[in-house]
Amino acid sequence: MRIILASLCVWLTAAVCGWAMPLTYALNESESRVGFEVPFGPDQITGTMPVRSADIALDFERPANSRISVVLDVGNAQANFPFATQALRGPRVLDASQFPDISFVSNTIEVRADAPSQALLTGDITIRGVTRPITLDAELFRPAGRALGEREQLFVRLEGAVSRAAFGASGWDDLVGDEVSLNLMLRIDLVE
Amino acid sequence: MSARNTDVSFGWVTRTLHWAMAFGVLAMLGFGSYIARMEVGMSNIWMFGVHKSIGIVLFALLAVRIVWHFVSPVPESLPSGVGWKDRAAVWVHRAFYVLLIVVPLSGWIGSGATGLDVLVFNRVTLPPLAPVSEAWEEAAFAVHFVATKLLALCVVLHIAGAVMRKDGTMARMVRGA
Repeated sequence: MRIILASLCVWLTAAVCGWAMPLTYALNESESRVGFEVPFGPDQITGTMPVRSADIALDFERPANSRISVVLDVGNAQANFPFATQALRGPRVLDASQFPDISFVSNTIEVRADAPSQALLTGDITIRGVTRPITLDAELFRPAGRALGEREQLFVRLEGAVSRAAFGASGWDDLVGDEVSLNLMLRIDLVE
Repeated sequence: MSARNTDVSFGWVTRTLHWAMAFGVLAMLGFGSYIARMEVGMSNIWMFGVHKSIGIVLFALLAVRIVWHFVSPVPESLPSGVGWKDRAAVWVHRAFYVLLIVVPLSGWIGSGATGLDVLVFNRVTLPPLAPVSEAWEEAAFAVHFVATKLLALCVVLHIAGAVMRKDGTMARMVRGA
């Protein structure tokens, strides 16, 4: 993505415009990505996971009414070296054959008072069939060059971390760290 | 220089296999101990692949050696004149063959049980010999650990016996006769 992402006060400007209903967005898969990172000795294993689907509705007037749910495709996860990819998809970590999806469903969205384009997103994440609560930092961007208040195309960035052990995905815990950092960048297009 | 063994001498095929495996086993014992203790990271993860690959090559060389010794039987050991030394030499040789099967096989089984491919020089993928299972993995690598220590002991006894004997045994394996 060569678009320069500038943080905008999307939530705030939307509130000024006074749109009443949540706006439904469709995921642009080709411009969306999910990155992850986990300690590996003195290094980091990094990788990506495709987004299988997403259901996103944003209420700019009442952000609490917004909802974000995302389903990730575990079977096509890629790490930065082949053995890590195989280990990641295998039965001792994500077990893609038994659990092909990772899903996240938001419960509450709390916009930061000091940074209206940012929010704390709480929800449930399901990995290997185990569902646990998670809090993600969320931020809305619009592509560079778009006019202030324009909402046809947006980027949603979600950041957080999960414990592998909490989901039974603790294979090779003698070599690979427990905390996995997640960084999702979702490109979404307004559904007419 | 004959390829085949005779009643009193080793041919070059047997000697080549012996020395290739000797250097390979010595190197692998050291290499295996090193990678088992190192902090694993991106810069050295490849060493496990090399270890597995060389181990499989040594396993294949052992198979060739066994077949070759059916084709061309090795000469009898030279008697030392001391009964327990001759019996010890026989048992060390037998232990070598058992351990040179058990060590690579247990490594192959343990590696396959992790769920990761067992790749030979990043080219050939060997089939797993066990289900993906932590129990299989732990058991196989425990066997691998113990067997490598016994193999190291056999190497020490074998070298000590060969060096201490002054009856031409070493010369037979170096020059053939």
